[in-house]
Amino acid sequence: MHMKVHTGHVLRTLVSWGALLPMAVTVIVAYLGTVLWSLKISFTNSRTFPSDELVGFAQYTRLFANERWVLSLQNLALYGVLFIAACLAIGFLLAVFIDQKVKGEGLFRTVFLYPYAMSFVATGLVWQWLLNPTNGLQQAVRQMGFEDFTFDWIIDQDMVIYTIVIATVWQASGLVMALMLAGLRGVDEEIWKAARLDGIPTWRVYLSIVLPMLGPTIATVLVLLLTAVVKVFDSVVSMTQGGPGTASEVPAKFIMDHLFGRANIALASAGSIVLLLTVVALVAPFIYARSRAASKASA
Amino acid sequence: MRRTMKQFGVLSVLMALAGVAHGAGPQAEVIHWWTSGGESAAVRTFSEAYTAAGGVWVDTAIAVGEQARSVAVNRIVGGTPPAAAQFNTTKQFLDLVEQGMLNNMDDVAAKQGWDKVLPEPVLNVVRVKGHFYAAPVDIHMPTWFWYSKAAFKRAGIANEPKSVDELFAALDKLRAAGLIPLAHGGQPWQESIVFTAMLANVGGSELYLKVLRDRDAKAIQSPAFKEVLLAYKRLQGYVDKGAPGRNWNDATALLITGKAGVQIIGDWAKGEFSTAKQVPERDYGCIPGFGPKSPYIIQGDAFVFPKTSNAETVKAQKLLAEVMLTPATQVAFSNHKGSIPVRMDVDVSKMDACAQKGLAIMKDKSRQLGNGEVYLNPDQNGALSDVLTAYWNRNIPVEKVQKDIAAALSN
Amino acid sequence: MTTAAIQHRKPSVIRRLGPARVGVYLFLLTASVFFLMPLYIMLVTSFKTMDEIRLGNIFALPVSLTLEPWVQAWTSACTGVSCNGIRGGFWNSVWIVVPSTFIPILLGAMNGYALSFWRPPGAQALFGVLMVGAFIPVQVMMFPLVKIMGSLGLFGTLPGIVLIHVIFSMPVMTLLFRNYYLSIPQELFKAARIDGGGFFRIFAQLMLPMSTPMIIVAAIMQVTGVWNDYILGLVFAGRDNLPMTVQLNNVINTTTGTRLYNVNMAATILTSMVPLIIYFVSGRWFVRGIAAGAVKG
Repeated sequence: MHMKVHTGHVLRTLVSWGALLPMAVTVIVAYLGTVLWSLKISFTNSRTFPSDELVGFAQYTRLFANERWVLSLQNLALYGVLFIAACLAIGFLLAVFIDQKVKGEGLFRTVFLYPYAMSFVATGLVWQWLLNPTNGLQQAVRQMGFEDFTFDWIIDQDMVIYTIVIATVWQASGLVMALMLAGLRGVDEEIWKAARLDGIPTWRVYLSIVLPMLGPTIATVLVLLLTAVVKVFDSVVSMTQGGPGTASEVPAKFIMDHLFGRANIALASAGSIVLLLTVVALVAPFIYARSRAASKASA
Repeated sequence: MRRTMKQFGVLSVLMALAGVAHGAGPQAEVIHWWTSGGESAAVRTFSEAYTAAGGVWVDTAIAVGEQARSVAVNRIVGGTPPAAAQFNTTKQFLDLVEQGMLNNMDDVAAKQGWDKVLPEPVLNVVRVKGHFYAAPVDIHMPTWFWYSKAAFKRAGIANEPKSVDELFAALDKLRAAGLIPLAHGGQPWQESIVFTAMLANVGGSELYLKVLRDRDAKAIQSPAFKEVLLAYKRLQGYVDKGAPGRNWNDATALLITGKAGVQIIGDWAKGEFSTAKQVPERDYGCIPGFGPKSPYIIQGDAFVFPKTSNAETVKAQKLLAEVMLTPATQVAFSNHKGSIPVRMDVDVSKMDACAQKGLAIMKDKSRQLGNGEVYLNPDQNGALSDVLTAYWNRNIPVEKVQKDIAAALSN
Repeated sequence: MTTAAIQHRKPSVIRRLGPARVGVYLFLLTASVFFLMPLYIMLVTSFKTMDEIRLGNIFALPVSLTLEPWVQAWTSACTGVSCNGIRGGFWNSVWIVVPSTFIPILLGAMNGYALSFWRPPGAQALFGVLMVGAFIPVQVMMFPLVKIMGSLGLFGTLPGIVLIHVIFSMPVMTLLFRNYYLSIPQELFKAARIDGGGFFRIFAQLMLPMSTPMIIVAAIMQVTGVWNDYILGLVFAGRDNLPMTVQLNNVINTTTGTRLYNVNMAATILTSMVPLIIYFVSGRWFVRGIAAGAVKG
């Protein structure tokens, strides 16, 4: 009997691993493999092609002596916090308001979702035009009579990163709204009835009862948003080209420029390793804790 | 001219069909980044000429130079190289040469006498260690001074500026008239162009070469170079507030609509002017430089031929190189592209007024200078660009800028 | 539960057209203005002539309305030697999108299933690494993947680009399904095992049918992601399989060429039609799918 259970257990593990084989191969070869390769390249002086000539930490030294790189990390931190907060807030609010049994829900949902379907190459240019003080919003509002209205963030080196936030929040919050809306729809009828019976105002119900229940939804949304933050590139390229000057530089753009334009894959690899380590340091504990909690909950 | 081209086109299509029916000639897949209207017409002169010569042109167009080049490199690495790939006449493909990934075109070069008909800066780029590794096809000049005749009239500027001082005077007049003096697109590469223009016209050819070709630290720290940087920064004061991030086309549009006076950008601007149906010397003016010795800055496009031992492909590569450098094709291509032919010995009497100005300068060998990228590798060029765009957009003491440039070029 | 009770799901103060209800609509309409502004500009620009666009009044309605840019975008915009508009890449995109949706979903579902029910030792760690992999910028993985694809003989082929999409979408797909299955009671699974079900039987006959809502959600995210992908298709698909986004980019982007903004806008809207239609049509399912507990973590 004991033997039979043991064999069954081994067989079960084997079959599971068999099914997970594509995932295992992908992770090891594609992900781990390329990260290790990048790591190796970052210690060489490779230009267009990989070279085997090791130069120790020279690339990393050069990286952190580079004003543009340091600025890109600062921008990413600022951008990340604002983008995630704004998307969560706006997405949640939109979902809550749409959930109020409004007429034309389908239409509203499409209006908020369509930006996600469009390529940023063109929409980025439109945002550039919109935010341009000469031709865009500032000009339009001034023509309406408000002579002193200024909205020239996109040409202001201190404020330009906020314009990137605006444009990318426009693109992503529709998706957050959809995910939140689904989560809201999963809230039990009974909760609402009970709250009404107790005479709790609606906004209180949302804040103190529903929001905590959406915890898991929010967690998944956070992961998706965080990956978007780390990879932010298209918007910066088509809106500001990293400018004015290098004010809106982001790590992904720095890496891309050095990978292809500057033919310096060693420096680009060093940059991506640093970026990856930063992300891992921030995210890994969180994922670990969640997966432990999740497996405990379902055990 | 157009009708002949059309007939030529029809003829070559028929010949191509005939070729296909007979088990066609050498097939060449060409990667390039010429995707807009004018560029498309230009590259078509190549494809049609190649077809007429019996070849089969397989077109792989990928917008934006950097993308196209990275795809070409990836294709070479991945084992499916194209027959030809477009690069610039710069050090971009040096790594490819050093890794032995390119076929050389020595046969074609000898046959067509490249060492006699190509300008020296171009020769120095395509000829590496005595072998010809790229077929250059055009010469673009990035630092033309364009001006709107209508804007100049409004500002009361009677004559074209003949010196840098007169240029600044004209800019002042434009500002006084309520127009945008200098139309500019705030992108790093455009700022590099403005800098190059100042280095060439304020600094002069000798200083230019000392800084960009020799990377001489003394020259970079010199008072003369300081003057260049100050002139560069001074121009920034004539630019409108909406400049950052702007595409160069939108800046040219300001000239076309008469809202701005001057733009410093390359000869490809002619494309925008012609799309708006504007004519040189009537609606807009073009100044290649100031003074009798102002240099003609050379940048351009060149095709490299990835290494292959497939005899058919090698045949195709050689035919392609030969076709692209025949005089007739050269002129036809440049007319569409806004460039000037890379061969010095072709009949250019029918090219437009601005091209003629440029060609006149090119006759003087001492005035032929390469663009920064001709002398610097992509990394150095990029580092320089970072310093320049930072200086343009922020108030940094010019001495620090000189130091930063010295550091950038010593990489 | 009577019908009346169901209808009064929320406190009735919201249902009347009182100030609160007006507030709801006001908020939604204001938000709509913000969201629709770029689309308005794109549409308006796409119906103008270039002369009008050069004047720089981005909000102005077209003075001389023209459909030419739309026709040009689809049929005659230049994308290289040929000037046939963006329609060329349409079927290539379809051939890439269909398998690149089907396979990642299947694998994601199987991975999620194995991770949440079977939990073989070490799988959680593998999943953790996979999740970290979702943060690596695509370009970093480019070079080594090109070499791997080259050595497999898949570089520049349709199976090759599909494989690339499978690799890059595995983290998100696995995450979505794993979380979905975690909300399905373990008792169901245990009962199936007691009934004698093996790994694949339970998956095919029990879990997969129950995952329909999630499959639709994943399909929508995957279709729009792969349809709009540019960089992966550009590098890995090979000349004969280049997706529509490459044509689109050729029309829109240029370094020193002229830019026809009206054609660019029309081309962008045309290209995004497929994902947009999918959003519009299956928006209902999208929401309902996740409601079935998918995102509960």
